[in-house]
This record gives sequence, C-alpha cells and structure tokens, in this order.
Amino acid sequence: MSDGKAVADHLIKAKRLNALLTPPKELRKSLQAQAAAARPTGVLYGMPVAVKDNICTLEFTTTCGSRILEGYRSPYEATVVAKLKAAGALIAGKTNCDEFAMGSSTEHSAYGRVFHPLDKARVPGGSSGGSAALVGAGAVPAALGSDTGGSVRQPASFCGVVGIKPTYGRVSRYGLVAFGSSLDQIGVFGRSVHDAARVLSVISGRDPRDATCEDRDSLRLPTVPESLQGFVIGLPREYFPPELDPAVRRACDRAVRLMKELGAAVREVSLPHTPYAVPAYYVIAPAEASSNLARFDGVRYGPRFDGAADLRGLYRSTRGQGFGPEVRRRILVGTYVLSSGYYDAYYRRAQQMRALIAQDFRNVFDRGVDLLFTPTTPTPAFKAGEKLADPVAMYVSDIFTVTANLAGLPAISVPIGRAKGLPIGGQLIGQAFLEDEMLEAAYAVERVVPATDEA
Amino acid sequence: MSVTRDDVLRIAQLAELDVDEDTLPALAEQMSRILDYVAQLSAVPASEALRPYVPGPDAIRFRPDEVSPWPLATAPEEFAPAFKDGFFVVPKLGQFDDPAPADL
Repeated sequence: MSDGKAVADHLIKAKRLNALLTPPKELRKSLQAQAAAARPTGVLYGMPVAVKDNICTLEFTTTCGSRILEGYRSPYEATVVAKLKAAGALIAGKTNCDEFAMGSSTEHSAYGRVFHPLDKARVPGGSSGGSAALVGAGAVPAALGSDTGGSVRQPASFCGVVGIKPTYGRVSRYGLVAFGSSLDQIGVFGRSVHDAARVLSVISGRDPRDATCEDRDSLRLPTVPESLQGFVIGLPREYFPPELDPAVRRACDRAVRLMKELGAAVREVSLPHTPYAVPAYYVIAPAEASSNLARFDGVRYGPRFDGAADLRGLYRSTRGQGFGPEVRRRILVGTYVLSSGYYDAYYRRAQQMRALIAQDFRNVFDRGVDLLFTPTTPTPAFKAGEKLADPVAMYVSDIFTVTANLAGLPAISVPIGRAKGLPIGGQLIGQAFLEDEMLEAAYAVERVVPATDEA
Repeated sequence: MSVTRDDVLRIAQLAELDVDEDTLPALAEQMSRILDYVAQLSAVPASEALRPYVPGPDAIRFRPDEVSPWPLATAPEEFAPAFKDGFFVVPKLGQFDDPAPADL
C-alpha cells in the first residue's frame, strides 16, 4: 500500500470523473515523496486519503473550487492534514467541490462539474462531490470533506459510500476555509463504516489552534456489536413525508425491519420544527458566508482582476469576476438578511428557529431515544442540470441533512439499497459527542442491510 | 417580497461586488424567490425571550497565559525583500528624506 506511484496511477484511472483537481504529474511526484517519508508505525500507514479542496495542504494548491483562489498555495496546513500525515496516511490530492462548498451537486465548481461514478448523466451530490465520487469509484478507501448543511452525507448517499459528519467541536477546523462558521464541520468518506471511523478517530480531538474544537481526547473506535439489543431508535415522522421517493421509503422500511430483527426498539417520534430547517439554514449560512468571504478581495489571496481606478474598484472587480454565480448569489442574500432593517425579520428569526430545532432533538433524546434513523436524501442522485435554474429546488434537497448542522449533532449516512442501480443512503443522527454509539449502530446496519440490492 | 434591480445594486455595493448589468434581472428574480422562501420563518410564533442557539462551548476557553510563539509558516527570509543575520535589511534612514526640489 505504501507504493506512492501505484496509489497515484490508481487515482489517475478515475480521471473521467473530474473529481481530482491535482494534475497527474504533481500527484505522482508528491505521493512518491510522501510514501517514502510516511511513518510505518502510524495507524493509517500507507492509506491514501483524498482531501477536499477547501482544506489547506502544503503539498497542493487550495482553491475551494473557485477562480478567486486559482493557484493559491497555503503557507500552512490544516490540523486534520497534519494528523493524517502523522498517522502515516498519504494525502492523495485535492478533490473538486462546489465553489466554497456552496452547492448540493458539485456543478458549481469553477473547474467543471464532477460526474457520478455510476452514471455520468447524474450528479455525485455536493458540495464534497469529488471526494464522494473518488471513494465511490474505488479510487481511494477514504477521503475528507466538509459538511455545512449535508455536504458529506448527501454525496455519500448519492455515491453509495459511508459519510460521517461529526459533532460540532469534535474535529479541529484549523485550516478549513470557513463558509458557515457555526455550521461547518470536517467530515469523512469511507468505503465502509470502519474505514471512515478509522480516519475520524485520527483527525478528532483537541486542538489549541481552534477555539471551537472541544477539549476532548480523540474518538475511540467502538467494536462491531453482535446485536442492537438495548438501542432505542426513533423514526421522526417529518422525515417520511408522503412525497418521499417510493424506493427510498422501501429501502428505509427494509433497514428498519432488519434493525428490529437485531433487537433494536424502534419508535415513531416527532421533530415538529423540521419544515423550517431549510429556510433557517438558507438565512444563517449565507449570512455567515457573506462575512467569511469578505476576506477574498484581491489583496491578500489569489489572483487580482485589475484595471480598476481605485481600491474599492479593485475589490469589486476581483470579487465580481472571481466568484461564480452561486457564491455571488449567496453573498448577496447574506448581505441582504444582515442589512439594517432586515436583520430582525430574517437573521434573528432564523437563529430563534435554530433554537427550536435544537430543542426538538433534545426533547426526543431526553425521552430515552438513543439515535434517530431517517433517509439521507429525498431521492437518489438527480440528473445534472436538473436543478441548476432553480436555486430553491436545489436547496430543498438538503431537507434531511441541515437539521444536524443547525443542532450541532453527529450524523452518518450508510448505503441501504439501490433504486434502478442508483445508491440510497440511510442516516443515523446521534447525540452530541456520542459518535461511538452512532458508529456501533452504523456497523450493525452495514452488516445486515444489503447495500447494493434493489429496494 | 420583491427584490428590485436597485435593491440588488445597493446590496452589491454593500458586499463590494461588481454585478453585470445583463445578469441583474435574473439575479433580482432569484433573490426574490429565495427571500420569499425563507420568509415562511415568520409564520411561526417565536417568543422574544427565545435565545438564539449556537452549538459549541458555552464560553470562550482561555489558554494558559504563556508566551509560546508558533513558528512562522513562512520564514522571514522568504518574504522579506532583504534579510541578513536575523534582521530585516532596510534602506538607511537618510534615504527616506524628502527629495530635493531639484529632483522633482
């Protein structure tokens, strides 16, 4: 596994997906050097891990899928990357993503869209679509992504792989280019629950360089359980609406039946404020993004689009030409909801809704429910271009994933079947910092649910 | 909620963002749709006393008050125009004097 050239050649075979932004020559050279330097005693020795392009690396450029950071090389690396290297893993290039992680289809990258590994007419999901597609195609066993509203779990579901969003504060975000600071978490894709969990265990834990990272030890890997005896699993009725895709419903029903057979107690619960999660998210996330992206102005990072008469003209032309349409749209919406006269009506309201959504989860967990089980997405992977003209239609596809970000909870997507060959994901949402419980249940689901059978 | 062309221009100015004249109508239409969609939040009665929720630690944690600078990611000699024996090399003070009128 520690043959850098072989790892690179294997990755380059997946070129047709447009999932990797690192040029083949550079990838080969770096992987050979990394393999030669990797610590043989590390727990991830020789394991190639591809990294989403909004996570800073010293080896490769960090562009966030944007023109405004074209060719940008970070002078430091993210804590997660340093931890992976210290564990002997190989950083297997940077993966294509929606620009600044804004999108649900990886069609909003300045470097072209990413193709679904099983059907090139479809999207791999987003925004971490490049990472998901590479793992789905078997090019790497694991990859890092970031999850602000579902950007790890949704593409994991579309590509038939495992995707984990840890609890807010479980993993250091030092070196992650900020999008929505109260929502962002670095997450992991894996071929299996075990591969993803191993990587999560390595990257988790305290970091003095990130004040929002909790002062906790790294996650201990749970053992694979014999049964689900003693687990109480809640099915929130708002996540199974009548319009849910029939194949997705059948796959969930089958997974629930199999969890019951393993001894889990399953009960229906309610999270009544769920319908307001997407509207709240699309106020809070753009508001935070408009502030976080103010730093990209052509002065400090990336290329400068010049020709302006004065400094403000320079900012405006650089930002106007450097950002793509979806990022521009979100910056404008974010600026609007934060502007004087609208702040109370939108931003404050959304933050209050967030409190109600978090309270919904607390109520359910306080009544003895250990975990929630839901579909990860309302449908399997959709066709490229299908939702591009209508931003709201694209936003609504995040309906089952944004709640965990708003409440800061851990969640995992596990493949639970296929619909006409396209993967379907089931989501387990856990309690804050109880990833071990969530992973135990995910191991069990993975073991008994036929992931590649038609639902 | 209908966003006008002028609203978009005003917001774009606040956001320090050039917007193409041709894209203005579509942008105004899309922003109106997005803002209409999120406006459903106002349908839920929310008590004024409800505190906004943000996950994470309840308070900012303090580090021990010790001086322990992290090494610079880029060494000074790499970004300084001139660097010698651990010092930045700058022009002699006299060279900063105003140029004589004859030089202008």
